[in-house]
Amino acid sequence: MPSFLNNLSLNGRLALVAFALGFLALFAGTPYHGAEAVLNAKELSLVMATDADQVGVVTLADWIIQGKSDFRVVDLRPEAAYAAYHIPPAENISVAALGESTLQHNEKVILYAESGERAAQAWMLLKAKGYKGAYLLRGGVEAWKDSILFPRIPENPTPAQVVQFARTREVSRFFGGTPQALAGDSTSAVPAAPQLAMPALAMPASQAAGGGGAPKKKKKEGC
Amino acid sequence: MMAPFFKFGLFGDNLGLVVAFAVGIGMGFFLERAGFNSARKLAAQFYFTDMTVFKVMFTAIVTAMLGVYWLSVLGIMDLSMVYLTPTFLAPQIVGGLILGFGFVIGGYCPGTACVGIATGRIDALVLFFGIFAGIFGFGEVFPLVSGFYNATPMGQLTLPQVTGLPYGLLVFAVVLMALGGFYGAEWVEKKMAARKVEA
Repeated sequence: MPSFLNNLSLNGRLALVAFALGFLALFAGTPYHGAEAVLNAKELSLVMATDADQVGVVTLADWIIQGKSDFRVVDLRPEAAYAAYHIPPAENISVAALGESTLQHNEKVILYAESGERAAQAWMLLKAKGYKGAYLLRGGVEAWKDSILFPRIPENPTPAQVVQFARTREVSRFFGGTPQALAGDSTSAVPAAPQLAMPALAMPASQAAGGGGAPKKKKKEGC
Repeated sequence: MMAPFFKFGLFGDNLGLVVAFAVGIGMGFFLERAGFNSARKLAAQFYFTDMTVFKVMFTAIVTAMLGVYWLSVLGIMDLSMVYLTPTFLAPQIVGGLILGFGFVIGGYCPGTACVGIATGRIDALVLFFGIFAGIFGFGEVFPLVSGFYNATPMGQLTLPQVTGLPYGLLVFAVVLMALGGFYGAEWVEKKMAARKVEA
C-alpha cells in the first residue's frame, strides 16, 4: 500500500484525496444545520426600536400590485383560516414547520398570524436562525382587512384625503375588497358601514381561489 | 468563529474591502502561475490543444465545493448564509454565450485580462478597455433590454433543490465528474499533440 502511494504523482495523490472526501460525503449528510440558533440581541433591539422589522399593509399591497417577486408572504394561521381567506400571494406555513420550509436566508419574508404575538414569535425564531429578511406585517390580517379590503374614508376628509382615498379604492378593488362609497357616490357615508362585513368576506376568498394561479407561480419562483 | 466571516460581522465594509483586495491578489497570483496571463494559452482551450483552463477551473470548483461542504458539515461554516446568485435562465444563457464569444476572440476573460495587464500584456490592456466600453454601452441601452434582463427569474437555486438528490451524493457525483474530466482532458491533449506532430 505505501509503495503504491509513493509511486503516485502529486496530481494522483490529490485526486485520491478528492475522491475520498467526495466518497465520505455520501455518508456525511446535509451541510445545513437547523437545530441551534443564535440571537443578536443588540441588532434585534435596534431593529425593533426603529420599526424596521415591519412592513405596512399598504406597502405590501403596492408590491403585490406591482408584481414584485422579491419577497414571500407567509401565513402562519391554521389551515382552515388560511383556506377561508389569505392575502393573495401568501403561503401557509405553520410555526413548527418554519425550520423545514423552503424559505431562504437572504429572502424577504413577510409574516402574519392570527395574532400579532404569534407572528412576532415566528419573526424572532426566523431572526435567530439567521433569516436576515424576516418582517412582520404591521397589524396582521386585521389591518389588511381594515386598510385594504374595507377601507373607510376619514370623517370630514380634506381634499387631499379624498384624492388619497380614490387611490385606496383602486387598491381595494384590485384585491376584491369593498371600499366605502365616496360622498359623491352616495348621499351619506353611514349606510356603507353595515354593508361591508359579510358579502365582502366571501369575495376575497373566491378571488383567492380563482386567482390561485398567481401565488402558485410565485411560489415556484421563490424556491 | 464561524464562516462566512463578513456575514457574521467579524469585519465590516471597510475591512471587507481590504480582505477582498488580498483575496483578489491571491487569485490573480494563482491565475498567473497557471499561465492564464497568456491569451494564446487561454484561447487554446477552445481548440482543445491545451486543457489547462478546464483543469484549473474544475480543480478550483472541486476544492471549493469540498471545502465548503466539509466545513459546513463540521459546523465551522454556515452554508445557508453564503450568498447565491439568483438564476435568470434565459438572460444568463445569452450572457454566457456573449462572454464566450468575447473570450475566444479576445483571448481573455475579465479576470485573466487583469492578470495579463499585471504582467505587461498590451492586448490584455486593450481588452480591459473594451470591457469598460461594453459596460458603458450596456448601461446606455439598459432601458431597452431591462425586460429581458429580468426575464425567467428562478430565484436562488442549488443542485440539491433542483434535483431533489441528497447533498452528499451530488458532492460525490461532482468529484467523479471532475476526476473523469481531468482524465479525459489529458487524453484529449495527447491526442491533439499527436495530430499536430502528424500535420
